Amino acid sequence: MGALLLLFFNTNTKKALAQTKFTVDGVIKDASDGETLTGVTILIKETGGGTVSNVYGFYSITLPAGAYTLEYSFVGYEKAVHHIILDKSQKVNIEMLGQSKQLEEITVVAETESRALNVKSVEMSTNKLDIKTIQKLPALLGEVDVVKSLQFLPGVSQVGEGSSGFNVRGGSTGQNLVLLDEAPVYNSAHMLGFFSVFNPDAVKDVKLFKGAIPANYGGRTSGVLDVRMKEGNMKQLEVNGGVGLIFSRLSVEGPLQKDKSSFIVAARRSYIDVLAKPFLSNSNFGLNFYDLTLKTNYTLNHKNRIYLSGYLGRDNFNFSDDAGFNWGNRTATIRWNSVLSNRLFLNISAVYSKYDYELGISEDSNNAYAWNSDVTNYLIKPDFSYYINEKSELVFGMEANYFQFNPARTVGITNGEKVDNSLEKKYATEGAVYISHKFEVSQRIEVVYGLRLSHFRYLGAGTAYAYNDTVPGRRRSVVSENTYSQGETIAAYTTPEPRASAKFEVNEVSSLKASYTRAAQYVHFISNTTASNPLNVWTPSTNNLRPTISDQYTLGYFRTLGNKGQYEASAELFYKSSSNEVDYINGAELLSNRYLEGDLLSGSGRAYGLELYAQKKTGRMTGWISYTLSRSETKFNGINRGKWYPTRYDQTHNLKVVSMFEINKRWSATADFTFTTGAPTTYPDQRYLSQGLLIPYNSTDSRNDVRLSSYHRLDISLRVDGKTHTKSGKQRKNLDYWVFSVYNIYGRKNAFSTYFVQSNERSVIGQPIQTEAHQVSIIGAMVPSLSYNFKF
Amino acid sequence: MEYKKTGTTSLLLAATFILSFISCDDIISVDTENADPVLNIDAWINDKPETQVIFLTFTQDYFDNENLPVPASGASVVISADDGRQYIFQEDVLATDGSYRWTPGDGETIGLPGSTYALTVVYGQETFVATSVMGRVPAVDSLTFSKEEDLGFQSDEDFYQAEFWATDLTGKGDTYWIRTHKNGSLLNKASELNIAYDAGQTAGSEFDGVTFITPIRIGINANDEDEDEMPVSPLKPGDSIYVEIHSLTEGSFSYLQQVIAQTDKNGGLSELFTSTPLANVSTNIANQNDNGSPVVGFFNVASVSGLGKRFK
Repeated sequence: MGALLLLFFNTNTKKALAQTKFTVDGVIKDASDGETLTGVTILIKETGGGTVSNVYGFYSITLPAGAYTLEYSFVGYEKAVHHIILDKSQKVNIEMLGQSKQLEEITVVAETESRALNVKSVEMSTNKLDIKTIQKLPALLGEVDVVKSLQFLPGVSQVGEGSSGFNVRGGSTGQNLVLLDEAPVYNSAHMLGFFSVFNPDAVKDVKLFKGAIPANYGGRTSGVLDVRMKEGNMKQLEVNGGVGLIFSRLSVEGPLQKDKSSFIVAARRSYIDVLAKPFLSNSNFGLNFYDLTLKTNYTLNHKNRIYLSGYLGRDNFNFSDDAGFNWGNRTATIRWNSVLSNRLFLNISAVYSKYDYELGISEDSNNAYAWNSDVTNYLIKPDFSYYINEKSELVFGMEANYFQFNPARTVGITNGEKVDNSLEKKYATEGAVYISHKFEVSQRIEVVYGLRLSHFRYLGAGTAYAYNDTVPGRRRSVVSENTYSQGETIAAYTTPEPRASAKFEVNEVSSLKASYTRAAQYVHFISNTTASNPLNVWTPSTNNLRPTISDQYTLGYFRTLGNKGQYEASAELFYKSSSNEVDYINGAELLSNRYLEGDLLSGSGRAYGLELYAQKKTGRMTGWISYTLSRSETKFNGINRGKWYPTRYDQTHNLKVVSMFEINKRWSATADFTFTTGAPTTYPDQRYLSQGLLIPYNSTDSRNDVRLSSYHRLDISLRVDGKTHTKSGKQRKNLDYWVFSVYNIYGRKNAFSTYFVQSNERSVIGQPIQTEAHQVSIIGAMVPSLSYNFKF
Repeated sequence: MEYKKTGTTSLLLAATFILSFISCDDIISVDTENADPVLNIDAWINDKPETQVIFLTFTQDYFDNENLPVPASGASVVISADDGRQYIFQEDVLATDGSYRWTPGDGETIGLPGSTYALTVVYGQETFVATSVMGRVPAVDSLTFSKEEDLGFQSDEDFYQAEFWATDLTGKGDTYWIRTHKNGSLLNKASELNIAYDAGQTAGSEFDGVTFITPIRIGINANDEDEDEMPVSPLKPGDSIYVEIHSLTEGSFSYLQQVIAQTDKNGGLSELFTSTPLANVSTNIANQNDNGSPVVGFFNVASVSGLGKRFK
């Protein structure tokens, strides 16, 4: 097939030559460390057209013969200008200079073009956070965190502190695709959710798609978080590190062969267990997590480059010699970039990702239990970009996934008898082909339209169960089972997923955009608790559990403001509806349950809202305000009398204010404020006794019809950069800085949940039982922290 | 999930370790709505040769901590067996706790494992019905006591725990409720609910026909705390333990699973990963009139085995 495609494009190229058009292509890099730059705007002064560099820094523009001025601009970098006489196709590689940290310069640099990107680009419902911004946000316990920083963006919510994951436009956490260098990450949390698995020292940039999702992403119905790792400094050896309250970090990067090959190795380890050891009676007690992120790349020649990246992380918890619990992810990605022709770019990625946990307990040799579970995903993804001309660009490719689910492998020994209680493994494949065309219809109108066609198969060897129908909301029992042999299809689903977006430029400073996205999710995340925990499992669609399908419509208005265009503002409306959402019966047994599907309910979802965003990007004071007004609801037969009810992460109002201020050359401060409507919850109104136990009862059988008190919080942080020069006036080789931060500065006890119980005293027969309502605040105090960071 | 508590406990300890000093769990006052009371039929009877009691009361406001539940007086309560025998429960008017009693004659008991029983309650103009099949139970073979090592926390006190030994009956789908009396009182905190599906804890598990797994065997211990909310030893010398295995049905097993989900709250940081939404537990009792008054409660007929021992 590849050969055929090549042939097709070769003939096309020839045709282009006949019209005396030529191509400029190249790779854009940071001049200081050789990192390729993603999303650099290339403007052709003479035509007003242009393009944007792809995630590997590659760009290509095809123009009629002539003289042109190319302007390369990117936030945080000095604009590069290049004049060319286009009488033949040529390669223009660009190295861009980062803006110096000097205060005077910060206030004057940056041109309107780069800042107007949100107006000029057809992209919408997308937020990009570069690692420098993430590092400036005050963080819980002083640890910079990629996932936590997403909370400050419009359309993103979180159930509460300590809950892993994030919710995008009313979707559940398991409906987000989280990618680390294209490897899906099945559990993005360390330490239950207080920290994410991404080591900030190894992250280059982070992009979150909330809607208008490009056709090359699929498999989840809500957001896509695309985390790209640094390639490693191509020019010189660089060491970064930090010491914080929870963990320490160290990363080393540098060239293997200058300008040809580089590497980065980054590691983190928590050390609570080390600090706590003297205070513990049990010397085998251990609690720690670590992760190791590495990446290397090799430029074969000016047309081919290979990347290899990997991640390994683990959380360990040992109570004693005989009991332990650990969990973690490992991923590996190998990529091959190839410039097949100056207009056709190919990237092939082969990915491996696995999440697993192990739990073991042993009383003695006759009484023990070992349990593990994992999900393994292999995928291969060839992705082509064909730059037809400066107005037209085609992206197409395919993706093939193979999944293996091990829901629970458990072996118990009870009183010397060994019982294998393992569940069958489950197998599935998910494939997709996609094509997307970006086309500039006129100076003002640009469209992207495409189709992703996905196909899923739930495969044997395995047993498929059929369940009876019962009262909605009750456990269904198995009526028959069918055994399938290896590779046999048990259930198959195909979904065409059309994607489209359009931009209309109202004038130089404002534009209107609209989009439509259909997405299918075949692999479901199963968790019925408020926040997920490491034991929660992923499970494939089956003959009983159908894929979730969502449709999202968005409409947006984008504009730049201010005489220098220093402000950027947007308003977006979204409406999303979905089918085959998953919820659970009361008392559902989700772990190690052969008949899991009998405890699942299938329903529909809808979410809609308005997101307002205003950002100031330049000057001594920068920052943004984000406000979201939204609703997220689901409807299940058997819950809330079959009526719509708000999801746990529904937040009517969600306001975030982030402000960063450069005090002087060495001191800078950041403050952020969060306000959200309290999470929906359910109260009992009646109670009764069942065999002496007090049972809460909701006489209207409602779900989530009341709210916790509203959530608000103010954090601040102060950064002090070490002196850049020694006393004798020489430039210091190493740089360092301290970060002091205070999370939840006024110590508000924000409610995470409210629960109702009978008091813990033993009840006395003949005496009324005492009931209590409890409110839990995960962070119920002000949390100060300190970290030291260095670079040399 | 077997060893459910092990997983939860480890998560909890891990979280507590990091954040106990900044998280908090406070008693708050909440206004819950008032609602119309609903009839509650608490009908768990067994084959022990003693007076069997069914309670008919009304639900009350959630925070009504002053009053006992209002009894439903003047009802007719009858259990009919599939062999045609009828057991008529008489209201205990003096007790005013909604109890309806049936006392067996000499050598008489309700029930044979495998038999079906139908409960009929007529209250006012309405009739409520339920059925239950009596399950079977294995004998409790022995009780042992041991000193607990590896507490996971520091304590000056020695901790002792009890463990019962019994073997699940061969054949899948036996369900049990292990009820323990300590010094004559039933341990009936939500955290002390101890149920088994065969010898394990999950429906459909392969633990069939073997000794009950460890968490069930040691699930008979009292869960008490001192004034500082630190755990105390479940056993002290001189304590007596009496363990009973009551048979359940698939339905009543699922009911008790739901009860555990709704009542056994660890609070604090465990809310992060164990809190499920508040929902009404199911009932197997139905109003004959589909549009009639709602009803809550459960009907179960159990066979029982038991064994006691004193800790010296």
